[in-house]
Amino acid sequence: MKGYRKYFGQKLLWFFITLVVAVALNFILPRLMPTDPVNAITGKIAGGMSDSSAIKEVYEFYQKQFGLDKSMFTQFLIFVKNALRGDFGISFSQYPRTVSDIISSSIGWTLALQIPAIIVGWILGNVLGAVAAYKRGIWDKGVMPFFMFLGNVPAFAMAIILLVLFAMKWKIAPTGGGYSSQMIPNMSWKFVKSVLSHYWLPFLSVVLISIGGQAVGMRSMSIYELNADYVKYSRFLGIKDGKIVKYVFRNAMLPQVTGLAMSLGTSIGGALVAETIFSYPGLGTTMLSAVTSSDYPLISATTLIITIMVLLVTLFLDVIYAFIDPRVKAAQFD
Amino acid sequence: MGKVILEVKNLKTKYITRFHEDVYSVDGVSLKIEEGKSLGIAGESGCGKSTLALSMMGYYFPPLHYTSGDIIIDGVNISGMDPDKVRTTILGSEIAYIPQAAMNALNPTMKIIRFIEDVIHAHDKSVPKAEIRKMAESYFREVGLPPEVLDRHAVELSGGMKQRTVIAVSTILNPKVLIADEPSSALDVTSQKMVIKMMKDLMKNGHIRAMMFITHELPLLYNVTDDIAVMYAGQLVEYGSAKEMVFDPIHPYSHGLMGSILVPEEGTRGANLTAIPGTPPNLKKPPIGCRFAERCKYAKPECFYTAPAEKMFGENNTRMYRCLMSEEELREVYANEQ
Amino acid sequence: MKNTIKQLFHSSKFVIGFVIFVAILLTIIIYPLVSPGNPLEMVGVGTFAKPGTYVSLYDAVQTEKDTFKFADADEKRLANAISDTDREAMLALFDAASLDYSSIDVDDSNQLIEFWDANYENAMSTAKLKKSQKRDLRLLDSRIQSLKAGETFKVIEELDGENVEIATITKTDYVNTSKVINVRNLPLGTDNFGRDTLRELVAAAGVSLRIGLIAGIIATFVGLLLGLLAGYLGGIVDNIITFFTNVLSVIPSIVLLILINYSISQELRGPTLCALIIGATSWTWTTRSVRSQVISLRNRDHVNLSKLSGHSLMRIILTDILPYIASYVVMAFILQVSSGILAEAQLSMLGLGPKTTTTPTLGLMMNWATLYSAHTTGRWWAYFPVILTITFISFSLNYMNTGMDQVFNPALRD
Repeated sequence: MKGYRKYFGQKLLWFFITLVVAVALNFILPRLMPTDPVNAITGKIAGGMSDSSAIKEVYEFYQKQFGLDKSMFTQFLIFVKNALRGDFGISFSQYPRTVSDIISSSIGWTLALQIPAIIVGWILGNVLGAVAAYKRGIWDKGVMPFFMFLGNVPAFAMAIILLVLFAMKWKIAPTGGGYSSQMIPNMSWKFVKSVLSHYWLPFLSVVLISIGGQAVGMRSMSIYELNADYVKYSRFLGIKDGKIVKYVFRNAMLPQVTGLAMSLGTSIGGALVAETIFSYPGLGTTMLSAVTSSDYPLISATTLIITIMVLLVTLFLDVIYAFIDPRVKAAQFD
Repeated sequence: MGKVILEVKNLKTKYITRFHEDVYSVDGVSLKIEEGKSLGIAGESGCGKSTLALSMMGYYFPPLHYTSGDIIIDGVNISGMDPDKVRTTILGSEIAYIPQAAMNALNPTMKIIRFIEDVIHAHDKSVPKAEIRKMAESYFREVGLPPEVLDRHAVELSGGMKQRTVIAVSTILNPKVLIADEPSSALDVTSQKMVIKMMKDLMKNGHIRAMMFITHELPLLYNVTDDIAVMYAGQLVEYGSAKEMVFDPIHPYSHGLMGSILVPEEGTRGANLTAIPGTPPNLKKPPIGCRFAERCKYAKPECFYTAPAEKMFGENNTRMYRCLMSEEELREVYANEQ
Repeated sequence: MKNTIKQLFHSSKFVIGFVIFVAILLTIIIYPLVSPGNPLEMVGVGTFAKPGTYVSLYDAVQTEKDTFKFADADEKRLANAISDTDREAMLALFDAASLDYSSIDVDDSNQLIEFWDANYENAMSTAKLKKSQKRDLRLLDSRIQSLKAGETFKVIEELDGENVEIATITKTDYVNTSKVINVRNLPLGTDNFGRDTLRELVAAAGVSLRIGLIAGIIATFVGLLLGLLAGYLGGIVDNIITFFTNVLSVIPSIVLLILINYSISQELRGPTLCALIIGATSWTWTTRSVRSQVISLRNRDHVNLSKLSGHSLMRIILTDILPYIASYVVMAFILQVSSGILAEAQLSMLGLGPKTTTTPTLGLMMNWATLYSAHTTGRWWAYFPVILTITFISFSLNYMNTGMDQVFNPALRD
């Protein structure tokens, strides 16, 4: 148990350190702009907003928010204090909605889409990699390269292809959105059905591109494990190949959990951009509209939320990995 | 002469490489081990001694393939037996194996007891788990391992402990023959001693009835096994009792090999350390003549095109060597050298 | 070294990846020589011209004519002139007049028109139709009749207020396209700006590859340097470097890229700056793997021997460490190149890529194509070839990498 405590302690510490750095970067990067950030930020949208009192309000808000008259450190504390309260200010582009309101309405969509899709892609990829390593033949020479090819299609491009094929050409899926535009979100069966019909295409696009990458990792791990000494030893003790294959795949799959955690940071970017193609009402689309309308507070908050989400999932995966793989525990005793 | 427990007759196996080339790494090996005896196999790395160990199991998987020959365990010929039958009735229960680098021989993510359950169920599905645990606990106690080990994962055990666990797991079904491939090479001296003692005890207590011990550390063999065979390029070049082999090697290769070690016994202390220059032949295309000819100081022209046969000699004709030269000739050559 | 390369070419994966990559590279180099010109030149007025060969009508009229009487020429003309709605209207008239047209193949324009001619008058008088419908049908009939008649076009030029006929075009007039002065081939049509898509694509692939290469070189260089320092020196240096590496590797790179690129105004964001930024945010992975490789090498005998011989740090790293990790570094570099190209594409899709008007990149092409709804309006040529190009570049690099992994990592051999 001592090993575990040390391990979790370390992981938790890293989580907080990384979080602090992430928040700090979020704070510093926009302030690196050569001009007065408040001017630059509000200036960018001055043309876009006609309501001059709104511009003034926004400008004053950010002057206060940035607190440019105060020292850098005080500014940072104010930033952190506001962020902790969930106060990210008011959106420029969707004035007078608050940023936290916009984000809380989109974060659920992203979580509901990305997490199941990433898990399903991970499972299918692992199965494919394991089968390719063990069965060889068409699995290794045909199916595997095909999914590796799909895995190299950029996420947004896969979204476009699926949209064109399923929604435009065969018309078996809606062309975008999270639910039918004639509906108001509610808990009725009809609404759920509409959500699901809008869900499967973005879901499929994330799954299809994640299979290949996971499969390559799993295939390598499986081959590595199939060559391991315990395979030979188990065989010479009369244990059936079917059972040994189970040992192998379990051992190969466990490190893939951390593999998933490590690939999350890179894959999430693509997945978010893909959301925009489907006009899916998640963080990706929010981020795109924030960027195109130069809605600085919204950009800052979405990036921060995405970072925190990825950090949390990584922490979560590290923790469950420690429980399911005894090798981690052993490593802590060294 | 005791009952023969393991007999191997002219065993030939080969590796098939990725590029579909055959490598004849065990090429006509014959040997016998009697009840209660142990045989050591010595040789340079790459001479085929580990492959010999794998080949003796009677169960082959790529890249190793069986070519010909017989493996007879206690009167039962297991070569040519249906692989599935070998697996359920021979492996683990008649003949057991301790791999080289036993450090990684246990599945790292599995508790030892789960693995023992799988081993026993592979031979008899009907044994209840509770009984397996009881049996495993008493067996572990008997061989001097704490039963708590059963509930550990392999990764949590120290090197020596892991190795002894492997030996215990290998012999849990009381196999007649134990084949150990460098079981102690990777261990520190204390663990090494414990492992050797454990294996000797297993033999003494009747858990195993014959043992083959493979190593490149010759001094170890002298202390552990009754007989020693020397292997070179896929064939045995000489065998005899441990004492004979160490103090009176006759084949030029064993002669050179023994000359290169120090046995802490009277009369050998002053022996020179002589390494044998050159490298073993490529077993994709073994030489037609004597395989050692290229490196042999005493080679004559005919050695390069005539393959020597096994010759028996010594008291009661129990020793063997494989050389074109006669025993007398060789002794004369060695005597002249000194 | 020679042996390693030979081994690489035994790996089918490496060879496939290599061939695809070289093919793309050669296209990028050779195509501009075959089809020179500014890739951003807006040759088309209007957006999204379909792929195909374009013949200048102006020149064609003035080109020497030949006369051909191809038997199926009229048929083709008719088939093209009668749209699906026309066909439906015709059949609707037959139905309204309860005529049995089962004897003819309604998809065969000739048969249909023959049947139409034979029954038109009759059907119009018997069928009960609305006035507007009848008017439409009469219009359709007159169109069909004029198509059938030997109509000619006259090309007239105004000269001193007088119309001078310079050419008469009949149905049997043909020009040989090789004689027409201006025939332009646009294999991928034009994009939303009216640029030659293929030419732009080739140029964009070159720029994107350059972005990938610069990003890859920077990421690999920084990663290698930090990894070597951390792994070889250990101690406090290692702790500091590992700290930053670990922190930066969990923060999604897209977040850093968005924040940085947003902080730099678009006017300043050229492809090279974008590549620099991408490279500067993606070195962590290389640092990690180089560090762990170096740590395992650090205490090997040959390194210790070098240390005892008093060799300089530089020399030890260059001769005793680098050669052993070279294969990993090359593989990491290849991966960095491909992820650099993807990163540019993603950023451009968000509108945070390089400045849009001066250079084409694959990401910018995608961005414009989607902004102008090429994908929802069936203009496949504006986006699909771009997707294929990105995918093939990325796939070839990754496939090469997988092949290399199997060669350099004996544990992964089949």
